[in-house]
Amino acid sequence: MRLNTNETDRPAGGEAPPRNFLITKLEDMVAWGRKNSLWPLNFGLSCCYIEMAASITSRHDIARFGSEVLRSSPREADLMIVAGTVFVKVAPMVKRVYEQMMAPKWVISMGSCANSGGMYDIYSVVQGVDSILPVDVYVPGCPPRPEALTEGLILLQKRIAAERKPLTWITGEAEARGKELPVMREQKGWRKEATTLREPDEA
Amino acid sequence: MSIAAASNILEDLASRFGEGAVTPEPTLDSVPTFWTPKENVLEVLEFLKTGVEGPYRMLYDLTAIDERTRRKRQDQPGSDFTVVYHLLSFDRNEDLRIKVALKGESPSIPSATGVWSSANWYERELWDMFGVRADGHPNLRRILMPQSWEGHPLRKDHPARRTEMERYTLPLEKEVREETALRFVPREWGIYRTEGNGTEFMFLNMGPHHPGTHGIFRIILELDGEEIVNAFPDIGYHHRGAEKMGERQTWHTYIPYTDRIDYLAGPLNNFPYVLAVERLAGIEVPERARVARVMFAELFRIASHLVWYGTFAQDLGQLTPVFLTFNDRERAYSIIEAVSGFRMHPAWFRIGGVQSDLPKGWEKLVKDFIEYLPPRLMEYEKLVMDNAIVKARTRGIGTLTLDQAIDWGVTGPNLRACGIEWDFRKKRPYSGYDRFEFDIPTAGEGDSYARALVRVEEMRQSLRIIEQCLDNMPSGPYKSDHPLATPPRKERTMRDMETLIAILSVLGPVVPAGEAAVGTEAAKGNNTYYLVSDGDASSYRTRIRTPSFPHLQALPLMCKGFEIADHIAIMGSIDFVMGDVDR
Repeated sequence: MRLNTNETDRPAGGEAPPRNFLITKLEDMVAWGRKNSLWPLNFGLSCCYIEMAASITSRHDIARFGSEVLRSSPREADLMIVAGTVFVKVAPMVKRVYEQMMAPKWVISMGSCANSGGMYDIYSVVQGVDSILPVDVYVPGCPPRPEALTEGLILLQKRIAAERKPLTWITGEAEARGKELPVMREQKGWRKEATTLREPDEA
Repeated sequence: MSIAAASNILEDLASRFGEGAVTPEPTLDSVPTFWTPKENVLEVLEFLKTGVEGPYRMLYDLTAIDERTRRKRQDQPGSDFTVVYHLLSFDRNEDLRIKVALKGESPSIPSATGVWSSANWYERELWDMFGVRADGHPNLRRILMPQSWEGHPLRKDHPARRTEMERYTLPLEKEVREETALRFVPREWGIYRTEGNGTEFMFLNMGPHHPGTHGIFRIILELDGEEIVNAFPDIGYHHRGAEKMGERQTWHTYIPYTDRIDYLAGPLNNFPYVLAVERLAGIEVPERARVARVMFAELFRIASHLVWYGTFAQDLGQLTPVFLTFNDRERAYSIIEAVSGFRMHPAWFRIGGVQSDLPKGWEKLVKDFIEYLPPRLMEYEKLVMDNAIVKARTRGIGTLTLDQAIDWGVTGPNLRACGIEWDFRKKRPYSGYDRFEFDIPTAGEGDSYARALVRVEEMRQSLRIIEQCLDNMPSGPYKSDHPLATPPRKERTMRDMETLIAILSVLGPVVPAGEAAVGTEAAKGNNTYYLVSDGDASSYRTRIRTPSFPHLQALPLMCKGFEIADHIAIMGSIDFVMGDVDR
């Protein structure tokens, strides 16, 4: 996508075009739009939802990334943040809500419970939401800090920007996936090499 | 709780039912505990509720213990399952435990729903978790697990880990089957009523995924137009097996799980747990740790109430307060993070003290916060509590009388809104609360507005307590030197062998056999951990009596006769957390 601001861009011998238009491909434009207006489903399961609410409210303000329009109806949402533990009793409902969302749709698994069951390897907890639906980004933490959720959202946005999904399910496979995201553990390996740590007993 | 009082009630029981009808049992928490045969139990309960001086008016808790693999049972009659009734007397400020021994694989007890309305859900939980049937119960169906569940999870022969069981998958047929099973069939809930004049009521399903329910909670409303005729809460969507987890984790490694019960106020759950373990182990906590715990707990009470404040206003249609109160909550978290290194679930309490000493410079953070918050609270008071629409939508809405509240096991701010000054911090001071100056706010009306008023004032009182902690923080160790304090203080490990072994040990302390329950005043109400130790590295039975469970059970009572929009206001005003209901 390119914004025309350059005087020298004028075609040879032609008149200078006005400086307020964009030249882009339609699918690039759509990907850009999708990336910047992800509407999350107002959906919470347990503790993580409180941190998700903290991301939405003033200090962390997810509106900065175009995702503040929480939808309570799955029909109007395109991002499901699975915030909390997926219980055996609630799993069919989670799947149902996911199915009710219109494509294209994305899923962020927020917190250890949704990622893998986390510290709850117990009879009533599904060991990770990915056993019932596909996940795009996993955010670790118990619960993840609002900053971590924001990072997960930015990662997802990067992916969406690179994705070329069909414009509607009529023209092709709605569930088409983009390229694989990098594993952040490898990207952040430098943190493990730290040798001097901040003293914990200083406020 | 005096021994004299205990023998007193024993005399009362003996004179009414004859010598030997009840057998006393000594316990570590000195709560008078009596065994009674199954045949007598209803009469005994009825007598204790109405027949004695200073009656035990509240059924505080009702649970069971699977005794089949327990080894150390001094002074106890033999049984396969033991049902435990925990009663509370406001007049005496005393608890009482009634135990009933049951034999066999499919035990049953007579239902106490005729004595206390609140026994209903507790008995359903008994059936669901232990397979103990309550004979004569109006609607004995599973409460926490799905109706399709096989087995009773808290029995010792039920697997604890999901990974021991079949991997969870959700093929289409199963999804359809589970969805169909959720359909509300009035007959399954014991409703056979048809109006003589041909009137039919409408059933409206609300939840489990609904923004107004504050979590995954489902309620079916029976409607006559907009008016609620009856309501049927359906819980268990948030059941995380916390009690079973207590039987697997060591005493020490269970602390983080307690944080996640009422997940808005972690340390207020740590509190009764560590106090109960300390009671079992006989640990005295040093002064600095006691005051630091109080300060931390009160900070979380404020954080929890701030979340309630914002969401309550949001439920009533005000969108601004939630942004303001969450911002203030972040400020409280900046202190909590500086102290413990974590935001929501710090697990900072330890058996015998706290995890670390307060960091240098904590005073400044706390001082700034207690100066910052009061003017903000004044502003919210104008914004929310003085708002004419808020008043119109909450005054006279969802009223509970004091008698109803006691009968249904309501505690905490919801009980104090009915005009009784009942707060464990004052009535049974723990961790040195008796040395702080603070008031217990009450209100008389018992409606949604009164409940809100009590909470708003509680935040101010918590600030008073924090200020006193700031001014009078004792010096000294932050953890006890008792050999069972976990983990032992680092300074000592380099000096004596025993401590080094303890710090290297994977299992942590072995707590002496016995039973103890300690109740505290949590953000939502009275929270009690009833621990049974069999002299092992982990608990034999962990019972968590949470305040939100009975509160939600009383919800239909509060919303009958009101409209759907009022129902949202009522739910907002009782301040429940699903983790606290389903555990």
